[in-house]
Amino acid sequence: MTVKAAAAKRPMSASARKARNLNILRIAALAIIVIIVLIPFYISFLYSIKTHSDISLNRLAWPQNPTLDNYRRVINENKYVGIGFKNSLLTTIPTVVILLFATSMASYVLARNSGPFYKVMYSIFISGVLVPFQCIMLPLYMNIYNLGLVSTNLGFILARSGLQVSISVLAITGFVKGIPRELEQAAAIDGCGKFGTFWRIVFPLMMPINVTQGVLNTLYVWNDYSTAVVLLRDDSSRTLPLAQIIYFGENMSELNLAFAFFMLAMLPVLVLYLCTQRFIVSGIMSGAVKG
Amino acid sequence: MTVINTGRKRRLTTYFLREHGGNLLFMLPAFALFAFVELIPFLQSIPISFTDKKAIFAKAWNYVGFSNYAKLITNRTFQDTFLHTAHFTLIYILGANLMGLMLALMIWRGSRLNNLVRTLLFMPFTVSLVASTKVWSYVYTDVLMPITGQPSPLGLTSQVIPGLAVIAIWRDMGYCMLIYIAGLQSIPLEYYEAASVEGASWWTKFFRITVPMLMPAITSNVTLILAWGLRCFDYSQMVITMKAAKTTAVFVYEYIFGNSRAGIGQAAAIILTLVLVVLTNVITVILRRREVEL
Repeated sequence: MTVKAAAAKRPMSASARKARNLNILRIAALAIIVIIVLIPFYISFLYSIKTHSDISLNRLAWPQNPTLDNYRRVINENKYVGIGFKNSLLTTIPTVVILLFATSMASYVLARNSGPFYKVMYSIFISGVLVPFQCIMLPLYMNIYNLGLVSTNLGFILARSGLQVSISVLAITGFVKGIPRELEQAAAIDGCGKFGTFWRIVFPLMMPINVTQGVLNTLYVWNDYSTAVVLLRDDSSRTLPLAQIIYFGENMSELNLAFAFFMLAMLPVLVLYLCTQRFIVSGIMSGAVKG
Repeated sequence: MTVINTGRKRRLTTYFLREHGGNLLFMLPAFALFAFVELIPFLQSIPISFTDKKAIFAKAWNYVGFSNYAKLITNRTFQDTFLHTAHFTLIYILGANLMGLMLALMIWRGSRLNNLVRTLLFMPFTVSLVASTKVWSYVYTDVLMPITGQPSPLGLTSQVIPGLAVIAIWRDMGYCMLIYIAGLQSIPLEYYEAASVEGASWWTKFFRITVPMLMPAITSNVTLILAWGLRCFDYSQMVITMKAAKTTAVFVYEYIFGNSRAGIGQAAAIILTLVLVVLTNVITVILRRREVEL
């Protein structure tokens, strides 16, 4: 109140008033946009805490008896929730860890060497972003089948890791180019070998981009549908997106349970994003334009 | 220079090898993964597209030259799926970029409120494409239908592609926004100050300073969304009963895994790849040229 009063008393120039009004308009517009963007999240949450009768009575109204029973029921009654979680965790975590080490090492070399050989290697690595998955789908499926890895976690881990290499190398190489070389040169003079220099000096400096790319890779793998539908053919190998869609098709009448399943599948990555959002937002901003 | 004795030469060679060998070792894990999943299958995929291979593991097949490609180009279903893909991609590129740029212009300055809004607007990117489509089908019927009186676009032949594109824009405009914010933050404020002194209007400054300086970000966003749009599979697959929403990626999947026409399906995938490569290069060249003009 007092601040407002003081602001009102102070004579305001026309341009300052115009700027203030514009800012109020901006904040109002942002509020409306944010609300619209969040509606799908709100609906998912709302439907997931409604009883069956509540949801058929009036979908958008706040439930008379909000309940977490849907979550309990979907976990207990649908064995594919457990299977989906197990498979998604057992494929996403190894993939992200493999990519963390493999792509940060490769990107370090590609960022620090400028000879024609390394330029060609870099071009080959990032050309992968131009190849749609559908183009390599058939030979990849045949190769993985011949190795006996269809419908296995290992097959899916290999495929998803390979598919993320290009985009990861692109982002991390751009970031490493921005790290000054002085520290590495000092370490080399002190007799630190290539491996030592990388692990002790460069790898820790790559933390921001590795967190960013790690979370993005987690999102891509956790949410993957098109690769999973090709490579994971057994019921017992289903990851969460596959399990969700099949469950949704079979239980159209029990929307509340389907949405509880959606929420369960979404929450881990949503929480991961919200915990690391400071890195993600700045990481995407710093890496993207340079590439 | 000319009097390098052999001992030193050998030392230099071993040094060079050690240096090079270490680098190769560092690249090996990533390259092995890349080769196994992308490079080798890509090289295998080209010959398959010239065969009349039917089932995936069929033993008997012949090379048929370009006949798969010729068949596809005159095939009505393929043409349709290609038009659907192009339609989807066009709306998706325009929508995600215009929304992303507009939002970036509103919140590019660093402040607590702006940071919060950035975090919230990027949130849809964490939702899977399939879940996005399912949830949006309820947004269309339960929220938008009571307000506008219009039935869900996902059930209408004429509107299903725009309906899906809206979902994709909702999901990815936050990503474009972050890249535009980075671009905006890198523009020196002096340019705007100088323009203001000369009495330039907001629009003049926008088109003469902001847009040219943002060209690298625009190139990056347009080519990224182009690549995501042309490989659109998940969204289309979620409304599989709608023929009007079938994309080329779904066509490829159905021909290879559903209809046992692997050769034709693979040829369709190669056409899709060629279109993506050509369009990406054309767009990059056009946008890069504008970059230099400043």
